[in-house]
Amino acid sequence: MTAVQSETNPSASALASSGGSSKGASIHAKGISKIYGSGENAFRALGPIDLDIKPGEFVSLIGPSGCGKSTTLLLVSGLEPPSEGSVEVDGMPLTRPISEVGIVFQDHLLLDFRTALKNVMLQQEIRGLDKAELRERAANLFDRLGLKGAEDRYPRQLSGGMRQRVSIARALVHDPSMLLMDEPFGALDAITRTQIRHDLEMLWLETRKTVLFITHSIEEAVGLSDRVLVMSTSPGRIVEEIPIDLPRPRPAHLGEYPEFSRYAQQIYEIFSKLGVYRF
Amino acid sequence: MRVFDTLWRFLEPALWFVGLLLLWEVLIRIFDVPVYVLPAPSAFLGDLIAQYQRLAYHAAMTLRIILFGLAAGVIPAVVLAYLIAKFRLAEQILYPIVVFIQGLPKITLAPLMLVWFGFSDFPKILLTALIVFFPVLVDSVTGFKSVDARQYYLSRSMGASWWQTFTRFELPTAAPSIFSGLRITVVISVTVVIVVEWLNSQNGLGYLVLRAMDSANTPMIFAILVVGSLIGVVLSALVNVAERLMLPWTRV
Repeated sequence: MTAVQSETNPSASALASSGGSSKGASIHAKGISKIYGSGENAFRALGPIDLDIKPGEFVSLIGPSGCGKSTTLLLVSGLEPPSEGSVEVDGMPLTRPISEVGIVFQDHLLLDFRTALKNVMLQQEIRGLDKAELRERAANLFDRLGLKGAEDRYPRQLSGGMRQRVSIARALVHDPSMLLMDEPFGALDAITRTQIRHDLEMLWLETRKTVLFITHSIEEAVGLSDRVLVMSTSPGRIVEEIPIDLPRPRPAHLGEYPEFSRYAQQIYEIFSKLGVYRF
Repeated sequence: MRVFDTLWRFLEPALWFVGLLLLWEVLIRIFDVPVYVLPAPSAFLGDLIAQYQRLAYHAAMTLRIILFGLAAGVIPAVVLAYLIAKFRLAEQILYPIVVFIQGLPKITLAPLMLVWFGFSDFPKILLTALIVFFPVLVDSVTGFKSVDARQYYLSRSMGASWWQTFTRFELPTAAPSIFSGLRITVVISVTVVIVVEWLNSQNGLGYLVLRAMDSANTPMIFAILVVGSLIGVVLSALVNVAERLMLPWTRV
């Protein structure tokens, strides 16, 4: 019943106060690649690529379909082993899936049979974390993500945007040191996408998790990131690194910054050179 | 108004049913159909009331076999389905055997089981279990396979144990399919047990049917039919209620 108590008093700063102090992790990947099959049938899906992400940095990986962006995310999370190279998180070599992580995929991947809140609290159940504390953090995240009142609804009763918001709450409720996002807004409409991008940025500004954000969208990459890594067509390599020097929080309409068009232009030019675009 | 609507939802089919029975009664009387060919509802419903103790006893015997047979069929089916869905090797080894056994007309095994196990409950339960097994197995495999592969990425990143993955992710995902297998099965099982009792029993509704046929007691056969279908209806209603309670999200 302690959970009920904490719900009635969701302090506005719960994210910062209730253990929301987990610092962002550093990610260091050297020469990682993924090769499927062997011998003549060997297919190189990715790389080799290097990644160097500082604690608390927001980095986007942008590239054409099938270039191995999603594979990169799986290698960085330790969910798939790299065929070559190695990954270090906070200086420790990855040998198994890291647990200090929240993952958001393009599909919400919420469990149909759990309500929104219970989907989020799955993290607490499985990790065996303190229930009252996690309830408070969940309540706060629901508040911040505009999910108030959706706690007891099942995923199929929620809109696509709401489901993805629940999925973001699930990825953050246990206060991980890094957030891995694989085209999280890819299935959403443009208006929802702009709002949820802003909401994510505000959450990130407050918590400063390390974020690896995979996207097709130049607007999302430039709108959210400290740094954009541009990938080539398959097998993906990192061909350009673009630091984004824009003030935060960034506006809904990024076009109000002349720099935005410059960054976008730069990425379009790289894609044209790679043959991603043929105009 | 709502109470009336709900009441009407149950009342309307009941009225139709009563109407049909009345029509049946009237037609039998007009055309003077002999009772051993087709008894009037009054005849077999009369038997149903007059013989209710005997019917209830044998119905209980049949129900017992049905429930044991269901348990003995459904539980191994779900376990095996999990193994087949999860492990390539299990699928390769078990599926051909399963397909072969599924192709067998299993009811023909009944006399053989009589030879092996005699007049006990065991062959009846075993045969019922065998027949119940396959629909549940097939639906459960589909259910377990419907877990999104990326769901396992999430469970692994949370550090979920085997048991946590099974209880929190896999079983609830498969549950609607398991229930749909169970729904089909419950109805079949009533028929199966009655047929098995024809071949090999001293009691139960199937035995009662044989006795009634010996004495050309057609109204009694109809009375047994009513009891048998009642068991089927009640069992499937129970499955539906259980599903509603256990899987509330399927109704939202």
